[in-house]
Amino acid sequence: MTVVEDGPLPRKAGDRDALHHSDRVRRKIVQRLKERIGEEDIIAAGPEKRISVPIEGERQWRFIFDRGEAKGVGQGDGEVGDVLGPPGGRPGEGEAGTEPGEERYEVWLDMEDIEQLLFADLELPRLKPKPGGEITESELVYDDIARAGPMVDKKHTLRANLMRNARRGRAFVGDVDKDDVRYLSYREHKKPLHRAVVFCVMDISASMGTDRKRMARLFFYWCVQFLRRRHDQVAIVFVGHTTEAWEMTEQEFFARVESGGTKVSAAYELVSEIQRERYPQQDWNAYVLHTSDGDNFTADNQRTLALVNRLVPCCALVGYLEVDPSASRGAAHKLSTFFARTADDIDGFVTATASHDRELWPALKKFFAREDVAEAVA
Amino acid sequence: MTAPYGVAELQAIDERCQAIAAELGFELPEIVYHLMRSTEIYDIAARGLPGRYSSSRFGASYRQQLDDYRMGRSRIYELIVNTAPVHAYLLDGNSLVAQTLVIAHCLGHAWFFTENGWFEPTDSSILSRVAGAAERIDGYMGEHGRDRVEDVIDACESIAIHQPQAQLIRTAEPERETYVPGPYDRLFPDEVAAERERLEREAAERRERFPRQPEGDLLDFIARHARTLEDWERDVISIVRFEQAYFLPQLRTKIANEGLAVLCHQEIVQRLFLPSDQYWEYEQLNAAVVRPGGLQVNPYHLGIAILREIMRIAEEPDEEEAERWPWAGSAEPLAKVREICTTYDDEALLREFLTPSVCEKARLFAYEHVQSDPRRIRISTRECDEVRDVLVKAHSRFGIPSVRVVDADYGGRGELYLEHGEEETGLDAEYARGTLTQIARLWRRPAVVRTVRKDRPVWYVGRPDGSSEQLTSAP
Repeated sequence: MTVVEDGPLPRKAGDRDALHHSDRVRRKIVQRLKERIGEEDIIAAGPEKRISVPIEGERQWRFIFDRGEAKGVGQGDGEVGDVLGPPGGRPGEGEAGTEPGEERYEVWLDMEDIEQLLFADLELPRLKPKPGGEITESELVYDDIARAGPMVDKKHTLRANLMRNARRGRAFVGDVDKDDVRYLSYREHKKPLHRAVVFCVMDISASMGTDRKRMARLFFYWCVQFLRRRHDQVAIVFVGHTTEAWEMTEQEFFARVESGGTKVSAAYELVSEIQRERYPQQDWNAYVLHTSDGDNFTADNQRTLALVNRLVPCCALVGYLEVDPSASRGAAHKLSTFFARTADDIDGFVTATASHDRELWPALKKFFAREDVAEAVA
Repeated sequence: MTAPYGVAELQAIDERCQAIAAELGFELPEIVYHLMRSTEIYDIAARGLPGRYSSSRFGASYRQQLDDYRMGRSRIYELIVNTAPVHAYLLDGNSLVAQTLVIAHCLGHAWFFTENGWFEPTDSSILSRVAGAAERIDGYMGEHGRDRVEDVIDACESIAIHQPQAQLIRTAEPERETYVPGPYDRLFPDEVAAERERLEREAAERRERFPRQPEGDLLDFIARHARTLEDWERDVISIVRFEQAYFLPQLRTKIANEGLAVLCHQEIVQRLFLPSDQYWEYEQLNAAVVRPGGLQVNPYHLGIAILREIMRIAEEPDEEEAERWPWAGSAEPLAKVREICTTYDDEALLREFLTPSVCEKARLFAYEHVQSDPRRIRISTRECDEVRDVLVKAHSRFGIPSVRVVDADYGGRGELYLEHGEEETGLDAEYARGTLTQIARLWRRPAVVRTVRKDRPVWYVGRPDGSSEQLTSAP
């Protein structure tokens, strides 16, 4: 019997809930992308191509009758026997027992989106400032206050006003004068350079069958994508090896096939040499990523271990990934088995194995774990 | 948007409508109207009740509906909450004519809430309980993380509707535990022996089983008997279950309730003698409200069609109808409608008053799903009796399958074993599996349901880790 024009609802959480819902959907997209990272169409998608990721929204599960068998009642024109379009109007409004509300998204992403979503959790670990001679980088940061400028700084304006009033004996905020207004301003900050060099080392010997080679290339493809996107001061050196090792161009690295056996030490030696000559430790953060099927000459293992020990102190990280779709993981002759026994406690040496495309992403994450994330896990 | 009218005008409209309603014989409870902005109206609509707890599901529906409104695709004129006093929320962008219709419409709902017996168990102070619950859930979200709490809410919402209503409690006939000898037993010695053995075996099984009688109140059962629930989880379960109980009478009487509200606004506005331009606007709005639904029945349309049919039968029945209803031809039409609306729910209303002429006027048809593409339908009949059967079935027990707990320690592994009533259509496989994983999340152990699909028993299993499967023999 009364009409009230009252204030806002005591509790109105619609916008907050909607934001939270978007956040859940976003996380779902990332999740789906990570599951699909090994799939052909994502890998094959060049920088131009876009891929579609179907995301199923969170469905409201409930017991309903078999959707095929359930009968229903509708309203309107049509002869007996006519077939009509999908039943159900708006999601969630289904006549009891017919079509439940479904939420589906088809998200189109280009490579840039994908990389941004995926690479958010990755970084070059243990990155240290390296002076690199004269070179420094500068950037402008808004962290200063000035009497003129485009953006008013309310806090400092009020403070200036309060102080001016206080000087006259009345400490209050008000009567803001032109003189009180303060503006945000910027300063130039010199930033030390975080130069980094990444050595991509791949086993290209005969034992690397089609599958293994594909996995290794896939791994490096994403490595390179990540490095180029996230770090503009990064140099990448490509090294392929059999019993010998060569420095290669990027194109060669991804295409070349060699025959012959495997001697990992040869590759590590070359890396060590290149680093000494061209990327001195005081100027560069060095990362070594090596991918092999682990079928090393057993006689070479000790020498390899010695080289790992020599590399680790002058590198930020040495990573070894064993790709092996046949999943003979743990076999005695594998390099990973040898490392597990002998190199487990070397700080800065990280190993991973992958017997399936799915496991490449976790491996990448293991090498490029964000330190804050890693610490949280620890 | 500022409306070109004030509270005083609305107050005047309300007074005139109430006076007419009283003349028509409607005794009304106290109603408080709130003028609300669209964001507030849609916030309430998404939650179902003002101030209800946070959930991203509500957020999604809020955003969706608000977008639809802003794009002009749909509009909610009013929302009404069954409390004492009744609270009605009016959209402040409605024209004065729309507000007139809405106020007259709300009078019908308010009358229905207070007079219809199915609403008796509703807690009339629900809003303060809802607000308290929302605050507690905010607290739990702060303490245990929003996602974790929302997952529990989601799990609860998936089975909250499986609870008894006060009037629905039927004590199941206890099954006979021993064989009662009959006069022809000697003719069928083998069958008798088999039956005797079956009964003994089942009785023995029941004695060992918990619960002794199948339990249909799923959330309540889980809250009381799940072993490792934390206190806050039990609280969330009871909140969701309690708030769902508020919606049950509304689901049960949707057609009757909307039918009566439409009847009210039509009868009242007829008697307001609006100037012709305003009346024209009213007729357009009225037509939009009661237009026939598409592949789904519009409850406003069917509701008013049935109530008008009852009024016709009360005044001028044909011979058959006069024979069927003793009051036909001799009852005061509105009084008869009121009488029926105090006790009937949709199931009863449809069963008795979905006459062939309503069926034809409302252009109802029954459909089946096309086997090759279950999203499409085929009109199977326009025969009133068959249409009525389907519609009545869809409105008994809100059209939800009957699923009951029969064993809380299935296989001695602590699994929850549910059974779906065999007399019904089987459960949908995908949805059964999804729902079971939700139940398993609360129960912390796998949950199993037995159902019959295409004359074969099938078991679905859901596990707390989210995995599920379909089995053709009992797990």
